[in-house]
Order: sequence, then C-alpha cells, then structure tokens
Amino acid sequence: MDGYLGGYAVVGLVLVAGVLFVTVSFGANRLLRPDRPTAQKLLTYECGVDPVGGGWAQSYVRYYVFTFLYVVFAVDAVFLFPWATVFDAPGFGLATLVEMFVFLGFVAVGILYAWRKGVLSWV
Amino acid sequence: MQTIQSVDYLAVAPPLMLALTAVGVLVADAFLPARRSPWIGGAALTGVLLALAADLVLAVGVLPQDRPRGTFCVGASCSYSVDRFTLLFQAVLLVAGTVVLLLANGEVRRAGLPAGEFHFLLLTALAGALTIAAGRDLVILVVGLEVVSLPVFALVALRRYDGRSAEAGLTMFLVSVTSTAVMLFGVSLVYGATGSMLLDTISAALRRPGTPHTVAATGVVLVLVGFGFKVSAVPFHFWAPDTYQGAPIAVAAFLSVVSKAAGFAGLVLVLTVGFGSYAGVWGPLVAVLAAASMTVGNLVALRQRAAIRLLAWSSIAQAGYMLAPLGAAAGLVGEPRVLGVLAAATVGYVAIYAVMNLGVFAVLSFVGWIDGLGGGRLDDYRGMARSHPALALALAFCLACLAGLPPGLAGLFAKIVVFRGVLTGGYGWLAVLMAVNTVLGLAYYLAWASRLFAPGPSESTAAFGPVPRHVAIAVGLAVAGTALMSVLPQLVLGVAPTLGG
Repeated sequence: MDGYLGGYAVVGLVLVAGVLFVTVSFGANRLLRPDRPTAQKLLTYECGVDPVGGGWAQSYVRYYVFTFLYVVFAVDAVFLFPWATVFDAPGFGLATLVEMFVFLGFVAVGILYAWRKGVLSWV
Repeated sequence: MQTIQSVDYLAVAPPLMLALTAVGVLVADAFLPARRSPWIGGAALTGVLLALAADLVLAVGVLPQDRPRGTFCVGASCSYSVDRFTLLFQAVLLVAGTVVLLLANGEVRRAGLPAGEFHFLLLTALAGALTIAAGRDLVILVVGLEVVSLPVFALVALRRYDGRSAEAGLTMFLVSVTSTAVMLFGVSLVYGATGSMLLDTISAALRRPGTPHTVAATGVVLVLVGFGFKVSAVPFHFWAPDTYQGAPIAVAAFLSVVSKAAGFAGLVLVLTVGFGSYAGVWGPLVAVLAAASMTVGNLVALRQRAAIRLLAWSSIAQAGYMLAPLGAAAGLVGEPRVLGVLAAATVGYVAIYAVMNLGVFAVLSFVGWIDGLGGGRLDDYRGMARSHPALALALAFCLACLAGLPPGLAGLFAKIVVFRGVLTGGYGWLAVLMAVNTVLGLAYYLAWASRLFAPGPSESTAAFGPVPRHVAIAVGLAVAGTALMSVLPQLVLGVAPTLGG
C-alpha cells in the first residue's frame, strides 16, 4: 500500500467488496426464496394503485425553461462572489465595477429576450 | 499596484462590433413587430460591414510597419494580437459572413426561420471566428472555438419542422462536445507541462530540456485530435455530410467556409506558434490525416448525386490539401522561417478555398430545396447554362477553381503553393498522393460543370425563376474575390502568423 498509486488499492478493495456483497446477497435471496409468479404479482406496483396506460406516455416538462434560467443565475453568482470580495481592494478601480455590470447587462438582455418571447408566463 | 489590464479597443473592434450588433439584433427582434423583420437582416449586414471597416483601419496601422498590435499582454507576450495573419483571416471571414448573410436573406423568409435568432446566432459565431484568428493564447482559442460551435448547433437545427435538421444539429453537437473534451484534456496536459497558456511562452518552455516531454507530447496530440474534428479531417469527418444536408443552405455555407477557416486559423496558430518545436511529433500525424482526408473525401465524393453531399465530401477532401503542407513540417524542426512558409501555404489555400466555395454555395442557395435536398441533385442543373447563363458561368468558374483548373487560376495557385510546401518538407509520397487526388477531384467537379452545359429539360431549370438581387450580389462578391485572387494571388499567399524566434 505504498507508493504513488498505493492509495488507490484501498479504493479497489472497497469496489471488490461492494460487488461481492451485492452478488452474495442477491444470489442467496434467489436460492432461498420460493418462486411462484402469477400475472397479478408481476404487475408494476405503485402505492397499491393499478397502473393505467403505457410506460411511454409523453409528459410536458414545462418548467425546464425556469431550470435554465436558474442555472444562468447560479453561474452568474459563481462569478459574482469572488468579484465581490476584491472589487474595492487597492489596485482594482472603477473599471472592475463597470466590467461586472457589463456582464450583468448581457445576462439582463437574456432575461429581457425571454420575457418578450413569452417564456416567463406559465401556460 | 495596478492589476487592471488596459484594453486596446481598436484591436478588438471587429469582433466587438459583431457581438454588439448581435445583441442589438436580438433585442430589436424582441421588440419590433413581425412585419419589420426584414430590417433585421439589414442591421446584421451593417454590423458586418462596420467590422470590415474597423479591420481596414487596423490594417492601415499594422501593415506598413509589419509590427503586431497586441492587447491583454503579460510582459512581452500577448493573448490577443493583430498581425498580417489575423487581418487576412478576419477579412476573409467577414467577406464570407457578408455572403452568407446575403444568402440567408431569401432563405430566412422562404423557410420560415426566426429572423432575430438566426442573425443573432450567425453574428455571434462570426465574432468567435474573428477572435480565433487573433488569439495567441490557448484559453482564447478554445473559448473562441466554442463561441463558433455553440450557435452553429442551433443554426443547423433551426428548420424545426424537419426531423433531419434536428438530427443534424444533434449529430454535430455530440461530435463537437466530444472533440472539445478531448482538446481540453490536451490543453490541460500542455498547461501542466509548460505552466503557461500563452502560445509564445509555451513555445519557449517546450524548447527547455527540463520540461516533461512525454506529457507535453500527449497534450499536443490530443489538441490536434480536437482540431481534427473541428476541420472535419478523416477519420473525424463523419458528422459533416449529414450535418450539411440537414442544415439550411446558408448555414451549410457557413459551416463549410467560416467554421472551417476558423478551425484552420486555430490549428495553424497552435501548431506553428505554440508547438513549433514539436513538429516531429505532430508533423507525421498531420500528414496521415491529410492523406486520409483527401483520398477518402475524393473517393466518396465521386459517388455522390446530391449537390450538398458532394460539397460536404469535397470540403473534407479540400481539408486534406490544407493540412498537407503542415504535415510536411516534421523534418524542419528549428527552422522557423521554413515553418512559416508551410503555414503560409495552408493559410493561402484556406483563404482561396473560402471565396471559391462561397460562389458554389451561393448558386446552391439560389437553386433552393428540391425534393427535400438543399441545392437539389446534380442532374437538376442540366441545361442551366441556357436558362441562367450568368449564374451557370459563375458556378462553372468556381468549380474549375475548386478543381484547380484554368481559368480558375486561384485554385491552381493554391494547389501549386501547397505542392511546393509539401516538397520543401521532403514528403514526396504525399505530393504524389495529392497529384492523384487532384485528378480524382477533376472527375466530379467537371462532371457537375459539364451538366450545366448539357442539353436537358430546360423547363426544369427555368423554374428556378429570375435571380433575386441579393443572390446576384452574393455570387458577384464571391466570383470577384476569386477572380481577384486569380490575378493577384500574392495578396493571400505568403502570409504566416508572427513566429517568435
């Protein structure tokens, strides 16, 4: 367990142990349990309600746009935090302040566009 | 302590103007009523022409002294530099952008593409391409490549009612993302080995004995593979034909000219300015890529019946010719002047290829969609010389140029320069292969050109209707550019990036 790659040996051992654990427990389960399937037992079970329709029904993910907008602002915040800690430090002047607002301006244009195209209204 | 870098706004003016126009166009489209959307195309065109004007102003300042104008500098090395190489590429890209915008003018209306989004995406991608030509820093180059690629995925998929368009966009997206990941891994290895992102600092570090050379060489090869995808060199080409076929014709023209030229600008910069001393590592690989690209591209192009697919395979083959001079660089380590000559051969070929290919695409976009094929089949061009003599002549001239046959002298000069470059490097086998491939190319380019003059059911080509003014201007620009390079090839030949030491 020495050397540069030695630390990875532990990771490998954990991996092997994990695979063994799953194989042994599922295998034991298979061997010990009785197996008498009926049509009723093979139904997809969810909260005691019989399944309706196929598994390939389409659903409309209407909130994805909001997810996008959230991601935009999350990334935005990643830029803002380091900037906020240094922008008034000596050596950084007005230019630093203006630069961040230029960036925010571009993000704001995106929001403006989304609003005009009717993305922000819930349908 | 001053930590703010001053920005030379004139040096960054061309891409900056495009970016600002792009944002302006997007906002204008959101607020203008739909019937005003023709204005958007005009505004976008104005932005491109303004950028071209800024480029001219820069050229007046930079060319006479032949000293690069850099900005974002650390010490003597600059991340962004405007020299002859940059100016040539930016001018070619902007002219190509103008032609693509003119072609898009009709298509946006006919195909019902959203005008604001189309022009926003196109201008953004063009701004990215201009930035690549000026980037002397791995970060700027990678970010520039992404700024070119990301809008193009959306542009390709913009014909939303057509499933093939979406498929084309998705194919390109997956391939491009993979290639970016490979390239970024290569960049990280190079950075790890040299401790710098600036190309000239990397070049100096690679020549020092203490650098971990195996790591650096692996990085160099991975970066090369990434660029191989972007310029669609065999074996990284398989996305190109389907993508060209599914995209709007103007976007296919953009892919084939602007994206490819931008990819080559980045490739030349990285290989010569950055990794010049590793020519022994990347040279043979580039030679193999070049040989495979031209052979596979030409052989498959021979069997194509659809105009757009033929152009896609021909552009793969042409990428092979462009790579060939760089492939001959292996034996020339430590001779920066000769490396410059080889880079100049590639640059000249790219510039000439750009204008002549634009001419072909301009005629294709006039022909439009026939049976779900952009530009129709080759047989649809039968008898075009009688119904549209000027357009048919222009197409025949551009095809002759692509084949490298007189009267298309521009294409001939480009081929000669590439041949000379390959022979300078002492790669006889590559030159022989190129000669064989040029003959293969003649077969399909001339088969197409001869159909224009063949007797055919003339009512079919007459159905294309009169030539709209914007198409006439676009074809005129491309043909004038090609003719200019036929007469004054020295304008574009012999321009290489400024190499340090």
